Amino acid sequence: MKFWEIGKRNLKEIYRNPVLLGFLLGMPLAFMLVFCAAAGGGQASPIAMSIVDEDHSQTSSAFIQYLGSIEAIELNEPIYSEKSQAQEDLEDGRISFYLFIPSGFEEAKQAQQTVNLDLAYKAANPMIGLQLKPMIEAVGSEFLGMAPPLNVELKGTEGKIKNEVVNFYFPGIAVFGLMILIATGAEIIAGDRERGFLARMLTTPARPSDFILGYSLPFIPVLIVSTLIYLGVGMAMGLTIVGNLGHVFLIFFLIGLCSIGIAMIVGSLIKSESQAGVCWIFIVPLAMISGAWFSTEGMPSAVKSVAGAFPFIHAIDASRAVINGSSLSAIMPDLYWLVGWAVVLFAAGIALFRRTMVS
Amino acid sequence: MNAVQTFKLTKEFDGLVAVNGVDLEIKKGELFSLLGPNGAGKTTTIRMLCCLLKPTRGTASILGHDVVRVPFAVKKLIGVSPQDTILSERLNCWENLALIGKVHGLSSNEVKERSKELLETMGLMERAKDQVRKFSGGMKRRLSIAMALVPDPQVLFLDEPTLGLDPQARRTIWEYIAGLKGKKTILLTTHYMEEADFLSERIGIIDEGRVVALGTSQELKTNLIEMRSMVVSTENLTAEVLEDLRNRYSRLEKVKGRLKIYHKDLDFKEIVDYLHSRGVTVYSAALEQPTLEDVFIQITGKRLRD
Repeated sequence: MKFWEIGKRNLKEIYRNPVLLGFLLGMPLAFMLVFCAAAGGGQASPIAMSIVDEDHSQTSSAFIQYLGSIEAIELNEPIYSEKSQAQEDLEDGRISFYLFIPSGFEEAKQAQQTVNLDLAYKAANPMIGLQLKPMIEAVGSEFLGMAPPLNVELKGTEGKIKNEVVNFYFPGIAVFGLMILIATGAEIIAGDRERGFLARMLTTPARPSDFILGYSLPFIPVLIVSTLIYLGVGMAMGLTIVGNLGHVFLIFFLIGLCSIGIAMIVGSLIKSESQAGVCWIFIVPLAMISGAWFSTEGMPSAVKSVAGAFPFIHAIDASRAVINGSSLSAIMPDLYWLVGWAVVLFAAGIALFRRTMVS
Repeated sequence: MNAVQTFKLTKEFDGLVAVNGVDLEIKKGELFSLLGPNGAGKTTTIRMLCCLLKPTRGTASILGHDVVRVPFAVKKLIGVSPQDTILSERLNCWENLALIGKVHGLSSNEVKERSKELLETMGLMERAKDQVRKFSGGMKRRLSIAMALVPDPQVLFLDEPTLGLDPQARRTIWEYIAGLKGKKTILLTTHYMEEADFLSERIGIIDEGRVVALGTSQELKTNLIEMRSMVVSTENLTAEVLEDLRNRYSRLEKVKGRLKIYHKDLDFKEIVDYLHSRGVTVYSAALEQPTLEDVFIQITGKRLRD
């Protein structure tokens, strides 16, 4: 159990270092507070809306035209005639949401009956539904010029969500928090190499596997505690986990392992502790394009493709989806990415870290 | 069997020869010093003996175990106190000692007993529960040596154990190391000639990667110093006597009113008798002891601290 002694030492070096801890936990929490406090206003740019028109009537066409004339809405082309097509595009990520006008829309108008519309969207982005519901209700009532009012039925989980803003920001910032493990882990490994601590330990009968485990395992409790703290603070701020908490943990655990793997790679490649700052060159831009702080919906496809090649966007999308009610099967593609990356990054981290022990 | 044995031990870094064919034989229980200036190859030699660097050529063994072929067998036998005081700064003394002890396979009870003994010996018991980042340089160094000793190693490597310490802290560490003589085989590196002189049973003088002289301090001074010196305080020293002395001896200097005579086979009695015979009053006369610095200059033409 030599690795355990090395691991214990590393864990003590982390939790007894207030600066490191503050950085690891304080920064994401500060981000969470600032973003959740700052968000809440309407969206300034037009929202791109897809529509399924199953009624194919003059009234439904006129309603669609009317919707298109609203400044805050931009209609996506083409207008779907089949709900299944739109649903497919939604699931594949080609569209963010769609408004469904069912057959019988014109008749209901003429009969002065309540008109029911469905607004379907990705559970990962519940804010869209909440922003659009009052808008469509208002516009619809004005167009139809009648009472009883228009009802928009949301195909999401908003009813259970206490604070949509927190539910949107929490997953992104939690994943960003776990990305900080890259910088702190690299700093610890490079610092111990630079100061010669690793060399001193290499004069003892510890094996390379003891060092690898001793320098990676301590980050797992850090990762678990960080996740628990993020969840605790998030819940205090109104986070509602509609989906399975265990799945949320699994996603955070996998992205945490990816971060530890990258930390081992960077920590083995850099020459000094101060060079660990280089990690921020990729942490912040990657977090940004992965949707840690902003929705990736409006980003150019090239940027989305770059983000999609890394594990972070998958962790953010998947955790957002699970928190807002998605099942495990819905996030499987993201999980495959995360497991694949975790294995590759850990293997590369071990190989490079092991190389530093041979001169 | 020797405790430490090297044969033509060589290390090159990108064509630069740091250690060049070093042959050492250190007996069990001996305290041996490698004395040399910075960059002479002392630390590189130690790093090869501790299995941290692979030799480019040559062999090295610790108690018969080859450092390249069976490094883990070697690591079980050695304790190392590196040149830079390398500790876990946010751990206390007990925790630092326990880390090394347990990695060496000691049980919790053994670690506790050994740590208690070492902390008392090193005068660290009072601060044993404090994080070591708050310690002075001398205290850290003492703890570093204690860490090297906690597994009760048969061979102890002390790389510049008093580097950068004040004279009082240095003296404390010297006394402790001197107390280990005969109990452990110790290989110590230093560029302080007083340290090597005070502590060592044998000294290897190393320069530019080569061991240029080997022996006890006395042997080195006796065998390698070609000229000895003598300082005489006199009265009535005439120019004629002075000239005569110049002809008899290799070199003559007048330093602060005293006469300093250099010669290969300097005979104290012969000089004093000669001066008396020429009517010169001799107030005091003393043979000067050569230092290891003199030996180093004699061999390399450089000063140790150059």
